[in-house]
Amino acid sequence: MTRYLLKRLPSALLVLALASFVVFSILRLIPGDPASSLAGPDASAETVAAIRARLGLDEPLFTQYAHWVGDLVRGDLGPSYAIGGDTASLIGDGLAATAQLTLGALVLVVLIGGALGIAGATARRGWVRGAVRAVTTGALAVPPYVTGVLLVLVFAVALGVLPPGGHASFLDAPDLAVQYLLLPALCLALPSAAVLGRYLKDGIEHALAEDYVRTAKAAGVAPRRLLWRHAVPNALPPVVTLLGMQTGHLLGGAVLVEAIFAWPGLGRLAEQGLTRRDYPVVQDLLLLLVAVFVVVQLLTDLVYAWLDPRIRWE
Amino acid sequence: MTDPSPRPSLPDAPTRRTTLRAAGGGAALLGLGLAGCRSAVSDSKSAGAGGTSDAPRRGGTLDIAINADFTPALLFTQTGQSLQNRLVFNTLTRYDDSLRPQPELATSWTYAKDGRSITLRLRDDVTYHDGRKFTADDVVFAVRNLQNPLRAAQLRATALAVSGFEKRGDHELVLKLKHPVANLFDLFEFMIITDPDSVEQAVTGKKLNGTGPFKLAKWSPGTGLSLTRNADYWQPGRPYLDRVELRVVAQAEALLSSLRTGQSQLSYDVPGKTLASLTSDGTLRTKEYAVGGGAAYLGVNTTVKPLDDPTVRHALAWAVDRERLVKQTLGGYGFASAAPWPKSSPAYTEANRTHYTYDPGKARELLKSAGHSRLDLPLLHVNTPGETANAESVQYDLKQIGVHTTLEPTDPAVSQKKLISQGMPALWVQGHGFAQVQPSTLAVSAYPFNEAKNTSKYRSEEYTAIVRKAWTGTGLSGSASRALYQEISDVLLDAAFVIDLAVRGRVETASTKLHGVTINKFAYLNLDNAYLASGS
Repeated sequence: MTRYLLKRLPSALLVLALASFVVFSILRLIPGDPASSLAGPDASAETVAAIRARLGLDEPLFTQYAHWVGDLVRGDLGPSYAIGGDTASLIGDGLAATAQLTLGALVLVVLIGGALGIAGATARRGWVRGAVRAVTTGALAVPPYVTGVLLVLVFAVALGVLPPGGHASFLDAPDLAVQYLLLPALCLALPSAAVLGRYLKDGIEHALAEDYVRTAKAAGVAPRRLLWRHAVPNALPPVVTLLGMQTGHLLGGAVLVEAIFAWPGLGRLAEQGLTRRDYPVVQDLLLLLVAVFVVVQLLTDLVYAWLDPRIRWE
Repeated sequence: MTDPSPRPSLPDAPTRRTTLRAAGGGAALLGLGLAGCRSAVSDSKSAGAGGTSDAPRRGGTLDIAINADFTPALLFTQTGQSLQNRLVFNTLTRYDDSLRPQPELATSWTYAKDGRSITLRLRDDVTYHDGRKFTADDVVFAVRNLQNPLRAAQLRATALAVSGFEKRGDHELVLKLKHPVANLFDLFEFMIITDPDSVEQAVTGKKLNGTGPFKLAKWSPGTGLSLTRNADYWQPGRPYLDRVELRVVAQAEALLSSLRTGQSQLSYDVPGKTLASLTSDGTLRTKEYAVGGGAAYLGVNTTVKPLDDPTVRHALAWAVDRERLVKQTLGGYGFASAAPWPKSSPAYTEANRTHYTYDPGKARELLKSAGHSRLDLPLLHVNTPGETANAESVQYDLKQIGVHTTLEPTDPAVSQKKLISQGMPALWVQGHGFAQVQPSTLAVSAYPFNEAKNTSKYRSEEYTAIVRKAWTGTGLSGSASRALYQEISDVLLDAAFVIDLAVRGRVETASTKLHGVTINKFAYLNLDNAYLASGS
């Protein structure tokens, strides 16, 4: 396995090196630069030049690239140009907030999607099945920015039971953090919950139509046991696969939801960084995403190799 | 249509009783869980509870909704979000409503007869948040700090006019000037007094050490600033508030919800169009300040043909329906004006404001007299909703006189670069500040109007001469200064390289429980006397 890992490692490092070059180049190709953003709307050429010099933007591009990569290798992400603070702290805090939102949404996806799927598959009354269909269609059709505003209007403005936006740390104030999390997590979760619900409903219906279920029913197995011990477990594998795929969607959707609910996650950070041309923040953030992808790919390859020894010897 | 596939045999679905039990159990669990907790909503709503009248009351937390975060690197630059400057720091003086300087850290001042120096006497009872005494050295540093181009201070030209310092003890200082400066008190209103030892930490957001009424407790990038009361503030018994939270709520709808629900009690970032709906229930009030918000204008690149012809620029100035723009895109907040000055400015006159009104017939005639019946020009604007609405309004009006524009929505960073590098296309719609203080400041500090180098690439010896005269003229009588300001207005209106459209006020939206709030001419929030009352 070690030999296989050593064989795969250079290509992973090459991908990272290429990605760093592409990320660096693309940012320099976007019009506008950090010095102009920092100089403000009334700055003189002297001010812009002084800021460029302080940030090292007057150096040749290759030197800037070498400095950036060198610092990265040493584990120093350096200071943010425009947002303020350290890039590492900014990304760390953003990552924690986005993870919090995504995990919260994932829990709601499982709860809501599970309830919808089971209700849709087992309800004997037509109106219940119709209602489940309507809810899932609605949750899929309405975009998150509309859902978000509606949730705020109902739960924050009309009922006044949940805050309309903001964020609290789970470490500092877990009780407040849950309340701040509920609406954005729900907004993020609804479309994925609808997809999950539909898959689960079809899966359960399919399982319930199998011969072994009919046999078990004829043998006197209690309906509830039939559902929970046989139908649901058999319907779950494709749903779990789907849930994994939906996690990616949730991470992507978090960008929009973060804007609606003033949630200080990675999406907000990326938007701020791009708007202000904060090169270190955007570069490090994009490279981090690439690195995560590369590591996941590497791990997948290792698992395949572990499962199938032939791959190791190819 | 019927379903062709028969439904599979179903196990017994949960009964109604089971379902209700499950739902009830879940609700009870959630209720019990949350009942034992603080409420994020009631915490905000009760922030002002405790008093029963309008009398000042100690304590409470004020939550302020801001649409952009504090940017440490721009601490010494006026931006759209400078509220924290007068909360953590102090300035030397502050203007009253008539632009008369009032004492802050400077208690009194005396100009030399030749206008080439000013003697400042400073408070001797002021300490920084870290306990260090405030002295004249801090003022010397503050001026030198703004002279540094890295600070990107708009009033750098005025700071650079200070050529020397003479300390007379710890609390008296003479500023020596290269030439008389008419807008020195603009500098004193603008310049926050920071701790020299920690200024580099201040511009990275790590430490803000000032003499102001609130200390920095925490800055969370993207979330906002938490400030706590400075118990050793030099104003006895002030501030009343215990805490101030500046929370970033970037999205307009979320910001409105934040105010509606009482999560925030104050904001300066509510779009004018939505203010009426917000204040209709009586829990919120609005107040308009003639500061900071600046003016909306149509910029003209005078090197692009045929815009090098003043007659064509005059045609554009007559073509825009400013009243409609104010009503439709600014929600009625602000006023239509052909000149940049707010009503509080000594340069403001009704004749200047109405120098160009909406007269498409006259605009067409002027265009025809310049030899044009149709023009096709690009019109750049920042891609925010407010600026886009302004640009579309201008585009419609110009089309009526035969000037067809192509909108160029641009992101703020690119727009800013083009603005300060003279890279703008033929036309652009933007906002400008600095007309709310001494009129000469506009022409030396606001880049679009800068007499030496501006976005429009407009140069005129006459303009330069008048601006220099206004900037270096001190001790002028009221009528003499008014005549000088009128000369500036005349040049601006005639040259029309910046065609002003509307003067926007800074609109404060606040809970009716909040009293004693004010902002200075650069939109620094002053909460020295602010308090939250209930029952009012």
